[in-house]
Amino acid sequence: MTVLNPTPDAAGASVEPPSDEPQMDRSGRTAARRRKLFSYAILLAFTALYVGPMLMLVLTAFKSLPEFFKNPTGWPESFGFGNFVEAWEKANIARYLVNSVLYTAVATAICVFTSVLVAFPIARGYLKGAKYILLLYVVALFLPPALIPQFQLILNLGLFNTRTGFILLFLVNPIGLIILVNYIKSIPRELDESAAVDGCGYYRFVFKIVMPLIRPAIATVTVLHAIGIWNELVLPTIYLTSENLYPVTRGLIVFEGLYGSNWPALAAAVLILMTPMLVLFLFLQRYIISGLTAGAVKG
Amino acid sequence: MKIVTRDYLFARGWRSAAPILLLLPGFGLYLLIAVGPSLATAVYSFTDATGIRGIAINWLGFENYDEFLFRGAASRDNIAALWRTLVFSFFVTTIQFGLGLVLAVLLNSRLRGRTIFRTIFFMPVILGVAIQGLIWKLFLLPGGGPVAEIFSWIGWSSEFLGGQPRQAFAWVIVVQIWANVGITMVIFLAGMQTIPESLYEAARIDGANGWQLFRNVTWPLLTPAVNTNFLLNIVGSLQAWQLFLVLIGYRPGTQVLGYLVFAEGFGQTSGSVSSAFRQGYAAAASIALFMLVLVIALAANAFVSHREKKYLS
Amino acid sequence: MKKSLTWRLAAVLLAFGLIGAACGSDDSSSPATTAAPAATDAPAPDEPEPEPEMAEDVTLRVLVHQNPPMVEFMEAFNESFEASHPHITIDLSVVEAGDLSIATQTRLSANDIDVVGIFGFSNAAQSYMSGAVPPNWQTLIEAGLLMDLTGQPFVDNYDEATIADAGSFNGKVYSINLGRVSYSGMFVNKDLLAANGLEVPTTWGELVTACEVVKAAGNECMTVGGADGWPVFVGAYGLLGAMYPDQEALVEGLWTGDITWDDDQSVEMFRRMQIYTSDMLEQGVTGLSHDAGPPRYAAGDVAFMPTGVWQAPALESAEPDFDWTYVPFPGSDNAEDNQYLFGKYDQGWAIAADTPHPEAALAYLEAFSEPDNYQAFANAVGFIPTQPTAVLDTHLGREVAPFLANYRVGFEQYWVAPAGAGQWANGSQAAAWFSPFNEWTDHVALAAQAQADLQAGLDAN
Repeated sequence: MTVLNPTPDAAGASVEPPSDEPQMDRSGRTAARRRKLFSYAILLAFTALYVGPMLMLVLTAFKSLPEFFKNPTGWPESFGFGNFVEAWEKANIARYLVNSVLYTAVATAICVFTSVLVAFPIARGYLKGAKYILLLYVVALFLPPALIPQFQLILNLGLFNTRTGFILLFLVNPIGLIILVNYIKSIPRELDESAAVDGCGYYRFVFKIVMPLIRPAIATVTVLHAIGIWNELVLPTIYLTSENLYPVTRGLIVFEGLYGSNWPALAAAVLILMTPMLVLFLFLQRYIISGLTAGAVKG
Repeated sequence: MKIVTRDYLFARGWRSAAPILLLLPGFGLYLLIAVGPSLATAVYSFTDATGIRGIAINWLGFENYDEFLFRGAASRDNIAALWRTLVFSFFVTTIQFGLGLVLAVLLNSRLRGRTIFRTIFFMPVILGVAIQGLIWKLFLLPGGGPVAEIFSWIGWSSEFLGGQPRQAFAWVIVVQIWANVGITMVIFLAGMQTIPESLYEAARIDGANGWQLFRNVTWPLLTPAVNTNFLLNIVGSLQAWQLFLVLIGYRPGTQVLGYLVFAEGFGQTSGSVSSAFRQGYAAAASIALFMLVLVIALAANAFVSHREKKYLS
Repeated sequence: MKKSLTWRLAAVLLAFGLIGAACGSDDSSSPATTAAPAATDAPAPDEPEPEPEMAEDVTLRVLVHQNPPMVEFMEAFNESFEASHPHITIDLSVVEAGDLSIATQTRLSANDIDVVGIFGFSNAAQSYMSGAVPPNWQTLIEAGLLMDLTGQPFVDNYDEATIADAGSFNGKVYSINLGRVSYSGMFVNKDLLAANGLEVPTTWGELVTACEVVKAAGNECMTVGGADGWPVFVGAYGLLGAMYPDQEALVEGLWTGDITWDDDQSVEMFRRMQIYTSDMLEQGVTGLSHDAGPPRYAAGDVAFMPTGVWQAPALESAEPDFDWTYVPFPGSDNAEDNQYLFGKYDQGWAIAADTPHPEAALAYLEAFSEPDNYQAFANAVGFIPTQPTAVLDTHLGREVAPFLANYRVGFEQYWVAPAGAGQWANGSQAAAWFSPFNEWTDHVALAAQAQADLQAGLDAN
């Protein structure tokens, strides 16, 4: 599979984009300017498609329910934070936030850490049958979710309705592993040789040399994996039954009645909920392109 | 100890157990959480399992498969859902691929603010399906929602998600692309940044125009990103169903295979009241979906490898 | 490219340098690793419940589905229950209605629940239903997961019909049901009818005429929250009930072939459903969500809103001065057939058979079933009471009181589809399949399709 089986090639993550304008004559210059305007027009049109729905969400979060029914699209009458306060209190966000952070942080850390340890020997071909191990991860991309057998597993391990059991569900990430494998392949093998010559042990090499070097890939996998856990809606309903174990997403249901939902409060809760991931993404986004460059693209 | 290959560079002897020892926790977890349950699903598909403690499980052979594919009018609906899955996947794959490429090309030039644009287009990815769906339900609110307002200015009207199945289905395609085109774009961008500028300069000296630069330099050298996106889009769209759940619910004429599996397995087909637990049947349906994805992905991969040979050799 | 090469060289040099640093010395200060090892180990799982002893502290785990007024009541009730039973703590968990079945299934299987909120039992698989898959509640009982409540004193607080219809199986009681709802009627805008010189319609013909009159006067005939899909066909349940007042017989007839969706009576019903969907409902209801229905109706220019009684509180809060009544949907030409209210049993309680705290669980249901507590519950959620001594003392209660003697369980509670039946086999939902909600425009064709889809399932078993 091409995506998953790139040739070890050099990493080249930080190339400048090609310049549109080398030395040109005047007609070339106007053509370039026209092209630029055209580019902006397309980009702005798309931006409207992205900002519009988000803006709608934000505006809804500032409306009262009757106001929303009367005038779903327009500007709110006033920008009060009543819905946010209501969402914060009713959805028990303060209380569940600790759990969400714990699940996301612990599961992501373990997942990424163990994945690197699996990815490295596979990428280097140090283990017999490494190809087949990788294949096993590739096949997983196509596997259907196995909700019920997984439930039976957690139950029989005695981990139902425990933090450990819930975290256990999020400890593997096949796509993340493949990204790591491909990224590691872009790191020159000479490094291993020289380390070995220096008498560096395998442990030390992996922990102290490899891990810092593949930081972009680690950032990419971290963001993708954390997003998945943070936003998970179905599994908390199945696996966590004590209120003191709920993650934040579980609190959202107070706004969804059997026969209707409170859009403004829901919108406010959603805005609160998405903020941490947004911040994480903004912090790590500069790594993500370079992480994907070598992790998913190099072929 | 012969677990390491000849390529292994580090200390040999008993210390060569290091890579396997470090690999084991991650790989063991993988077998435990992902592979094991998936194999169990395959076994379940041959039984009448309900998922409830205390109910005996009987071996049915291929009966679930027979029912899913051949029994009564339900099989017709299942096959229709299968076709719908293919249609959905076709439109999502092609449009998302094309749009992602266009956006990447635009953002790969020296435009001011391209990081901001990139962040904006990638944003939905961090929201997760439930919130993506919620945002679009709001945005597509008929009777006063923003899109409905804009449509009314030009004399259009649409039932959006609540009306004709075809329309609702088309809107789900739109949202699916909206939500995921950011990943496609970023992968293309990443690919473009590996193309050396010197090649563009050389081509320009030969008098190539913008289109020729794209056709002869960018496109062939983008092959790895093209292949990655192609496969990720196909597999992702074939398995996507949560947006259907969030946006339109279980309505005749709109379900895709993945949704059908979930609905059959967790009694969502008839609104929770008198539905039944049919894990075995749902497992059979999910294995059918797996087969479909596998066959298409293998075919796509064959195509992609062929293309790669053509361009990269 | 140049730059990238430089960078890469720099990175490699740096890395080689690090090898020296890392491998040359034994100091264990680690360079920044992005992924920290699992230092924060998961905290210990919750302790399992201790075996109950006399007056030992117990925690009673209770599961209900999300329904805001009910959850609010439950929280208050639990507080007072904990006050009067100091050794019992209630751990209430709430799930979305759509997830109740999966939560019940998993938590009963995990033996992680004591008191379960459960919808009223619908029809069990009957002897004439060959190859039918039994409904969830029946599977749970057959798996031995629900406690037999037969003979418990609090069961007698509920009327016998309720216990028999909604809580019993094979002669044993497994659930006490807390209330009925009706969905087969319609709200009537009395002011608008009076302004147009109309009486409340009691036959299909009168309803058609009333619609023509109000529309001619520039108003709308009907509205319903169509965006959510199900309110459209639920709005037509009254039509179904009027055409087939004995809904249990309808189900049996469809299974045995005595009734078909394409016989004359049914085709006429499909015709009326199409008129309801395509002509009577106002334009744009495809976009009206269920909860937006009452505010829309309260605007006053719509004559009828066919929907469930549960929307009465929303209607009252949207416009307190609105003058309305609630009557059965007049779907039949014969006024006699238009006097029934159909509905279902909603929320009820069951106890997990394997609960470690049977005494506490029974005490909980006993306290809940005390007439005062029950009356408070009925007031809070607005169900039609299932305790004979309780009354529904609201505007709605007074309006529906005359019809309560004619309350019947609706089709969807009896219907079990044969395995292999197609997606159009449940003709009771046909109202939602006509344009503009779905693609059907010809009632005869849809009736034939419904019967074909049903027949395919019957023939397959």
